[in-house]
Amino acid sequence: MRSLVCAVIVLVPGGLSAQHVSIGPQVAFGDYREVSSDLHYRGTGLGAKATLMWKKFSADVVLSKVKYQPTSDSTHMDFDASEVDLRLRYYITGPVSAELGFMNRKADPEFEAQSVGAVTVGARMAYVLGPGVHMSLNGGLLFGSKFSGGGTTSALGALQLGLGITVDALHGRVLVTGDYGFQRFSRTTNDGSGALPAPIQQSLGRVGFAIAF
Amino acid sequence: MRRSIWLLLVVPLICPPALTAQTVQNATLRRAQQAFENLDYRQALSLGHASLRERLTGFERGRAYELLGFTYSGMDSILKAVDAFKQVVLIEPERDLDPNRTSPKALSAFQVALTQILVVRQLRVDSVEFIGGQGAVAMRYTVTQPSRVVTRVTGGTSGSMRIDSTVANGQVNIRWPARMPNGDPVPAGNYNVVVEATVGQNSFSTSQPIRITHGAVDTLPHLTSLPGYTYLPETEVPPKSWRPMGLALVYSGIALAGTSALSNGDLGSASMREGGVIGGGIVLAGFIMTLKKPAPQPARGNILYNSLLREQIARRNTEIAQENTRRRQQVALSVVPLPRAGAGR
Repeated sequence: MRSLVCAVIVLVPGGLSAQHVSIGPQVAFGDYREVSSDLHYRGTGLGAKATLMWKKFSADVVLSKVKYQPTSDSTHMDFDASEVDLRLRYYITGPVSAELGFMNRKADPEFEAQSVGAVTVGARMAYVLGPGVHMSLNGGLLFGSKFSGGGTTSALGALQLGLGITVDALHGRVLVTGDYGFQRFSRTTNDGSGALPAPIQQSLGRVGFAIAF
Repeated sequence: MRRSIWLLLVVPLICPPALTAQTVQNATLRRAQQAFENLDYRQALSLGHASLRERLTGFERGRAYELLGFTYSGMDSILKAVDAFKQVVLIEPERDLDPNRTSPKALSAFQVALTQILVVRQLRVDSVEFIGGQGAVAMRYTVTQPSRVVTRVTGGTSGSMRIDSTVANGQVNIRWPARMPNGDPVPAGNYNVVVEATVGQNSFSTSQPIRITHGAVDTLPHLTSLPGYTYLPETEVPPKSWRPMGLALVYSGIALAGTSALSNGDLGSASMREGGVIGGGIVLAGFIMTLKKPAPQPARGNILYNSLLREQIARRNTEIAQENTRRRQQVALSVVPLPRAGAGR
């Protein structure tokens, strides 16, 4: 993750002149659940989002770090979830673009929650609500999920859903951003006694602003 | 005020010679006119003939013969009246009798007199302005007997130019293009239009001075618009629509409903807090965009129309530029008749 952050910091400014680039901080707030309704966490944190658009291509890099706290049971400990989302998009037609990317979320302490990584494949629909106001709806599947505690998901068992809005301000130099992401992994584990469901689910909202170049 | 008083004093001192030139000064002739007005025709005749033996101005001589003509007409001596009127016409070829104030006998004697002598009368040159080579000067005159009439323009640097030669009787109309034999416009200057009528040994000529001036031909201004055609706005504001609000509700609803539907039942009810915040923001944005005046959209029809209009104006301006180039090589001729010095002979 550290190397990815360095790559974004080093590479993005060099390509600023290519097309539209925006980058800015976000406030994140989320809801995390795992295995059963007893493992329920909520938390807030910080994030950053960078977007690059070039011709029919666009890319989003989203970083977030949310400090989750258990909602009820004090026997569970807080943990930090550091997540990286990279999505590459290609415009197809009308409001529709195809998306390909990956996500990686690491939990710290490591055994307090599952770290997970997966490749994302999906589609996005974008619509201009009015001058300078864009909204989007995206959805897709998460393939090749890997969990720090082991376990697998079926082909259609891991999916994500998202909603986003950007509002231009100051003649398009500043964007107000808002994003919502929902992930669900229908994870199953098997310790030899048969498959046991150990689902993971996260809702993450992010609100912030970005400076456009 | 003082200046106007001086003018009132000075003008009568200067003007009497001019005014008296057109009034009868000869006492005998005045007495003859008085006798005619008293219907004393014999006295008028004797005094009229007596006045002709005295020293008279041209104007007075003409009035004396005219008086004799009227008197003979009144006495039914038509032949003598005709002879007297012939003298009037020879002295003043432009002389005409007022049909409202003249007896029919005198009028008919005057007309007979006109047909018996050769004169060219009422030579008129119209004041005109035209582009050299594209117009003509209109002239007309009346010749009283069938005769060979030659019209020439004299003066300037070109000497004498014959512009018309015809056998005519009565009114003749001529159109002169004011061009030299080589086709160039006549140079600016003062000219005389001379009309000479000849029949047998008799001839009569009259002239009308004219002034020809040259000027630049007016050029056409370039067009910025075509009359009756105005540019149309290239953008138009679409009517307000609830579509943004509707789509915001649909997108947010799909996201929230999807979250609810896709959440795992073992993990309890799905959290709507995150999706609700972002979805609420989108619905609010959609509502604002619905109330907001829509952004102007390009009007393709109007853009095409304006493009055609601009193209048409550019084409017309190109034609105007070519026309102006041609006009700058042309000359505008202005022909003005000048006052005549005297009668013809």
